[in-house]
Amino acid sequence: MTDSKLRNTCESTNMDFLNNLTIKKFHEGLASKQFSAFEITKAFFDYIKKNDSQINAYLRLTKDLALSQANKIDVELAEGKDLKILAGAPLAIKDNILIEGEPATAASKILENYRASYDATVIKKLKEAGAIFLGKTNMDEFAMGSSTENSAFKITRNPIDLERVPGGSSGGSAAAVSADMALAALGSDTGGSIRQPAGFCGVIGLKPTYGAISRYGLIAMASSLDQVGPITKTVEDAAILFKEISGRDELDATSVNFQYNDDELLNPKLENIRKLRIGIPKEYFIEGLDKNVSEAIEETIKLLKSLKIEFKEISLPHTKYALSCYYIIMPAEVSANLARFDGIRYSRATSEKRKATTLKEIYFKTRGEGFGEEVKRRIILGTFVLSAGYYDAYYSKAQKVRKLIKEDFDRAFKEVDVILTPVSPTSAFKIGEKTDDPLQMYLSDIFTIPVNLAGLPAISIPTTNNQRLTTKDGRKLPVGFQLIGKPFREADVLGIGQYYEKLQAV
Amino acid sequence: MSKLSKQTLEYLAELARLELKEKKEEKLIKNLQEILAYFEELKEADTENVEPLAGGTVEKNIFRNDDETFVGRRTSPVFLRGQFPEEENGYLKIPPVFE
Repeated sequence: MTDSKLRNTCESTNMDFLNNLTIKKFHEGLASKQFSAFEITKAFFDYIKKNDSQINAYLRLTKDLALSQANKIDVELAEGKDLKILAGAPLAIKDNILIEGEPATAASKILENYRASYDATVIKKLKEAGAIFLGKTNMDEFAMGSSTENSAFKITRNPIDLERVPGGSSGGSAAAVSADMALAALGSDTGGSIRQPAGFCGVIGLKPTYGAISRYGLIAMASSLDQVGPITKTVEDAAILFKEISGRDELDATSVNFQYNDDELLNPKLENIRKLRIGIPKEYFIEGLDKNVSEAIEETIKLLKSLKIEFKEISLPHTKYALSCYYIIMPAEVSANLARFDGIRYSRATSEKRKATTLKEIYFKTRGEGFGEEVKRRIILGTFVLSAGYYDAYYSKAQKVRKLIKEDFDRAFKEVDVILTPVSPTSAFKIGEKTDDPLQMYLSDIFTIPVNLAGLPAISIPTTNNQRLTTKDGRKLPVGFQLIGKPFREADVLGIGQYYEKLQAV
Repeated sequence: MSKLSKQTLEYLAELARLELKEKKEEKLIKNLQEILAYFEELKEADTENVEPLAGGTVEKNIFRNDDETFVGRRTSPVFLRGQFPEEENGYLKIPPVFE
């Protein structure tokens, strides 16, 4: 593309152009030399500059890194090297994932001065695949929250309605993709932190099976629950990214050596999809589920039935205990994982540091000043449920309930292959609506939490949303549906999702 | 299950090495009590003879040889030292551990 042609692309049709760009389309355009990686990367930065002051999806841009990465791809392309599917693709990365040499704050004051000393395994894999990193995205501090309002640095707004939250904790990543400020993004999901913001922002979010993707270089929140995953514009893109970043890693002992069938992930066959049976768990259609959400789910079921997929009502009887179970286990792990942030390792951030003279004082002051309210609340709660005298009543009890929840899924998966539920009980709520009431905030993850407790893969996909709640300027508020798969059967949820997408395109 | 007192909160904060702001303690106690009250529902779940589940998908141990093979990513010592809060002769400097 010549300079003047690019200028046309970037100025007059920039919006439409980036708007319609997916990983797949970008790859085709780059391969057929319609544009260079440098031009598109530059266009993304221009677009971010113009739009992100309203949305605040990014904490920081990594412009130098991105443009040099893009240049390298263009040189390779000119030399006639094979173009990998992610080569030159500009992505956004959640700020709890380490990129060597770049700050990684997890949106916490305590890590304000920290710079990553190595690449997370997912970043290493993406670099090898030729992907480009536009910047690090905003999130709830240490991924603790459901609205991105717990960031120590700024509040991200939902691009569909600026008065509403983008969801969380990967709210910045979801907002960036939704507002076309990145081709796709990485997030992390401990109790719904990829799927819920994807649902609120009208994009795709995949939480892979526990063990499918290495967490080496992900700032740990709750290690028995955390997973990294993609946030994308299409299900097909989610499959592409998942394929690139999954796999066993010696540096994460919980990662599993599982051989995925690439063709099944990327090119699912309708005849196989039709053989899948989908379960509808009655426990997910509860009081408190918004009417617009339940209607959207009904429509989705109708659409999927047109593919001749069989549906069956199932029961997951221990679902109602999942929230309590999660809010005991997760804080317990948080209190242990966050002990490492002590003002000595990972740099020191507080203004009090010079006044502290003993080691203990450094710990108390750094952590007291460096952690936000929600993080402190969870550390205290986790310390409580693990403390002598309460361990059995809370932590041990929760682990047993976790077993019951997992057994519910095991039983259900004898009858069905995939489970369909809403992603959240409501669509995106207003900024400030739930900040004073942590319990209400926790309840917004009620449908996504059981999946993490059981270690399953699940995807959040926007429903067709044929009109229900609209914003002031008439845009529709997205409603997501969730497909939950058997362990290591990402292919099932991605496959149904890809055919669902084709139905919508008609 | 029990209520959380101001005394318990301060003890937990001590264990967790957290300095709490006096004026925020009351709200924190209120929040925590509401959350603990919510957990009461777990009492009714029958967990007799249920084994606790710690998590994971493949419930087996993964071993590696206990040798010196370095598998982590190497980082420049200069870069790491640059992040020390205080340094002396290339070492991380901290106040005495034992007072």
